[in-house]
Amino acid sequence: MSTKEQRERIELLQGTLDLLILRTLLRGPAHGHAIAKAIEFNSEDVLQVEQGSLYPALHRLIKRGWISAEEGTSENNRRAKFYGLTPKGRRQLALETHKWDKLAGAIARILRPSELEGES
Amino acid sequence: MRRDKRMMEELDADIREHIARETQDNIERGMSPEEARYAAMRKFGNVTRVKEETREVWSFLWLEQLWQDIRYGLRMLVKSPGFAVVAILTLALGIGANTAIFSLIDAVLLRSLPVEKPAQLVLLKWSARKPPIIHGYQSAGDCASDLRFGASNPSGCSFSEPIFRKVVQANVFSGAAAFANAGRLNLSGNGPATIINGQLVSGDFFRTMGLKAAIGRLIDANDDTPAAGAVTVLNFGYWQSAFGGSRDVIGRTIELNSVAFTIIGVTEQRFTGISPGSDYDVWLPLADGQRINTSGPFRWNDRQADVSYWWLTIIGRVKPGIPAPQAQAVISGLFRNEMLHGSVPLFHGGEPMGGPPRGGGPAGGGARQEMVFGGAPMRFGLGKSPGREQQGATGGPMPQSAGNKPIILSGPPGATPAGGPHPTERATEPKTLSSAEDNPEITLVPAQSGLSGSRTRYSDPLYVLMLAVGIILLIACANVAGLMLARSAARQKEMAVRLALGAGRARVVRQLLTESVMLSALGGSLGILLAYWGAHAILSFVSSNQPRPLGFAMDIDFRVLGFTIAISLITGILFGMAPAFRSARVDLTPTLKEGEGISAGWARGAGKWVSTSNALVVAQVALAMVVLVGAGLLVRTLQNLRNVDVGFDSHNILIFGIDPTLIGYKGAQVDSFYRDLQGRLAETPGVKSASYSMMPLLSNGLMVTSFHWPGTPQDQDSEADDLGVGPNFFETLHIPFLMGRSFNASDFEVAASNRGDQPSSAPTPVIVNQAFVEKYVGKENPLGKHFGETAADANGPANPGCEIIGVVRDAKYNSLRREIHAMMYTPQSMGGATFELRTAADPQAILPAIREVVAQVNTNLPLFNVATESEQIDRLLFQERLVARLASFFGLLALVLACVGLYGLLSYEVARRTREIGIRMALGGRAKDVLRLVLNQGIALAVVGAVAGTGVALGVMRYLSSMLYDVHANDPLTMIAVALLLILVAFAACFIPARRAMRVDPMVALRHE
Repeated sequence: MSTKEQRERIELLQGTLDLLILRTLLRGPAHGHAIAKAIEFNSEDVLQVEQGSLYPALHRLIKRGWISAEEGTSENNRRAKFYGLTPKGRRQLALETHKWDKLAGAIARILRPSELEGES
Repeated sequence: MRRDKRMMEELDADIREHIARETQDNIERGMSPEEARYAAMRKFGNVTRVKEETREVWSFLWLEQLWQDIRYGLRMLVKSPGFAVVAILTLALGIGANTAIFSLIDAVLLRSLPVEKPAQLVLLKWSARKPPIIHGYQSAGDCASDLRFGASNPSGCSFSEPIFRKVVQANVFSGAAAFANAGRLNLSGNGPATIINGQLVSGDFFRTMGLKAAIGRLIDANDDTPAAGAVTVLNFGYWQSAFGGSRDVIGRTIELNSVAFTIIGVTEQRFTGISPGSDYDVWLPLADGQRINTSGPFRWNDRQADVSYWWLTIIGRVKPGIPAPQAQAVISGLFRNEMLHGSVPLFHGGEPMGGPPRGGGPAGGGARQEMVFGGAPMRFGLGKSPGREQQGATGGPMPQSAGNKPIILSGPPGATPAGGPHPTERATEPKTLSSAEDNPEITLVPAQSGLSGSRTRYSDPLYVLMLAVGIILLIACANVAGLMLARSAARQKEMAVRLALGAGRARVVRQLLTESVMLSALGGSLGILLAYWGAHAILSFVSSNQPRPLGFAMDIDFRVLGFTIAISLITGILFGMAPAFRSARVDLTPTLKEGEGISAGWARGAGKWVSTSNALVVAQVALAMVVLVGAGLLVRTLQNLRNVDVGFDSHNILIFGIDPTLIGYKGAQVDSFYRDLQGRLAETPGVKSASYSMMPLLSNGLMVTSFHWPGTPQDQDSEADDLGVGPNFFETLHIPFLMGRSFNASDFEVAASNRGDQPSSAPTPVIVNQAFVEKYVGKENPLGKHFGETAADANGPANPGCEIIGVVRDAKYNSLRREIHAMMYTPQSMGGATFELRTAADPQAILPAIREVVAQVNTNLPLFNVATESEQIDRLLFQERLVARLASFFGLLALVLACVGLYGLLSYEVARRTREIGIRMALGGRAKDVLRLVLNQGIALAVVGAVAGTGVALGVMRYLSSMLYDVHANDPLTMIAVALLLILVAFAACFIPARRAMRVDPMVALRHE
């Protein structure tokens, strides 16, 4: 794909990707590949993330102190780097989720005002 | 770095693991191993990019990248040495020229005062709505002052000594100092007598300035009392040159104007005077001013207590507890008090002066005197009191370091016969110096900006030169940009590969910009060397023109270095932009496939006329045109000035100044000395004739007199230029007589007695020029006409006025540019004089003989300002010569750069289109056609550039008008000549590539990639 499209996709997903990673790790530490699969699976394949973009995001999160990395072995006895939430990351996840909900709600209200009014 | 490396290795492993897992998953989904891997890798994305982005998260990545870029850039430059050398040289010339001129601007205009913490120093400036009623004002051009007759809101920075004492008493400064020019000093006791310049300073001067002595000690408060011994401090440079820099100079006695002074110390090397451009040889305490002027007309006894004689410049250092506005309020209040409630001291009505006015004023007591120095005349009224103090300022425009001559106006500025009171009137009713509605006040201005000194003299040409070198830098940038464009075309493949490998475009652009900045940094470093050499050359040219050292020192200091770095950076970015962006926009696929990007050949090239490279060359030619036109105008100005008819024969004339009053000659002694000397000189072998005058012609010194012309209303004054001359003046200078006769011995006697306190009944004979006759006499016979008579009244005896006894042809007086005004020549009596000798051969050759003759009369009489009249005229024209020379140099530089740019472009085109040329020739085209094709492009570019340049020049040259003489800013002749020159040189530049195109062998060309 062309560079421009690529860039657009990445820009859209950077902030949200961080959020998704944090959420995925809520269930417990995982390695990179597992995280990627989890996101795909849990979004029912709607979100097709370019898997490579995961790694810069992971390192960003490490730099901010929201996750930490550890060496470990995976299910089939292969070495892998496991990423897990830090307490700070947990707090950040709650914060970001809240922000996201507010945002989504606001957009929804604008897009479908009649429905909501009907509801209330 | 090591941690990063480890991290990258880990990341590498992680990524591999990730892809392996995905591959495994794909295999489980049913793909073949190869398909699985391929899908996994596609899903992952660009591995390199991922790695880079991850690295970016962590580092000062930009720093690493910068280092990478620099190394890469260096490698690429080394690979193409030809390009690198040309680019660096071009940039060095452009940046170097700018640095050179800037360092001059720094030395002259920006340098801080050579004292301790100059920001704390403030200068006292007075201002009022009308000029104060004072009888004497002296200024040495330290600050910009405006004391013109009748000008409203005059201001200045000279004050009376009582005011200074009050300022000190007010104690609002941590230190207050006053200083004034000591005038011409005859120094003896150290070899043959010489004339030097000195400055009188108050006791606290050196302490307030925070200066240290190089050896010995400096003047302090104890030395500045009448009881203290006469001491003096030497200038470091003067100490080196006149005393050999020997330490035993401390304690030695020398004589200044026949008064013994003890040398107590030498100032530090960097201090030559507080005002920019000033260079004094010695400093003396204020209290000793009286001693060295015993024979002068300065009335030193009165000066120290005289509130009405303003001659001191006052500087204070701000006290920590008292901010400047507060101090200003106090000082201004003090000043106002003095102005409104103090009283004017009396004239010594009727008493003769201690000596004659040095300037030798015109006859006629009712006359007013004006002194002019290279600017508007400053006038002052005299009244009829004999309290005249005038000083002829021989040579040197006002704020010039050469001589630092004082400008003395005497008489109450603003007093007119009809308007203000005569000084002696105040004998009966003391008036105050100013009135409330005139609002006299003092402002404290920062000394750094307030003391302008010689700065104003040089600022105009410096700014013009700065503009010229700025344009040259632009040309250099355009030149190198063109080179880089050509080079980037050759590097297209490299760029394409890098982009294909995943480098972001921003990264590529950044790397190319780094290369450009590196080039300009290298150019800048070389440029500093060129600048250093160039600025020194300019400064030594300038100082070789002044009779005294320049008082400005040139250094490469922080400001200059900072400037160089800044413009190197800007230059690099400027010329790197276009090529960098062009490279990054490369279309990948076609470039990777073909060998070189085949952009349009000449056939399709017509559509791409306005390509960047062409535009760059046109811009260069246009800019070069602007600089050349400017240079042309300045050169023509110089020519015109040189060809001005000065009205006398200026070849083979030797002039020198001599001042016997400095060693005690008084009154009639002075006149007889001059006459005697003149006689002896006239008989010296090699001298055809000799004479003297109050000041030399064409030396910027000027005197103007006003008088009453009969038939005009009583209170209306007429004016004319005025020059006192000795016997044989017109014959020596070859100014022809049109009517009447020259001065004879009795004329001088009459003039001398009229100047005294008992004027004779005979009018002073004067000789006038044609302009005078035209203006005042008209059609009548001028011979025998009387004017300037005043009747006897309470203020003094009757004055018989002047009588015209001859008319001479018009001649220039003080400068070449000033038109000839009505002028009268009077028989000189007393005062300082300049001798003019017409020699048979080279004037310099008989100089030793002349010195001999003078020494025979008195060994203690040094000659000063010795020069030939031609040299004097050259000095007058010095600024024009400097600017013309530099402008021409820069104009040629611009021309060369532009033509190199043109040549480069055409060479590149020819090389690039070799294949096309080969095809044309193989298909039957003639060599001549190819030649014409190349030439056409080159000439077309040059012509378009010349036209564009002419347009710009038409708009811009008018800013030069103040510097031009007798040539219009939009002079068509100059423009056409320059345009022709440009096109001719451009033609030559095109010729070589064109011939190369002609010689292309079709067979070779067709096989050319």
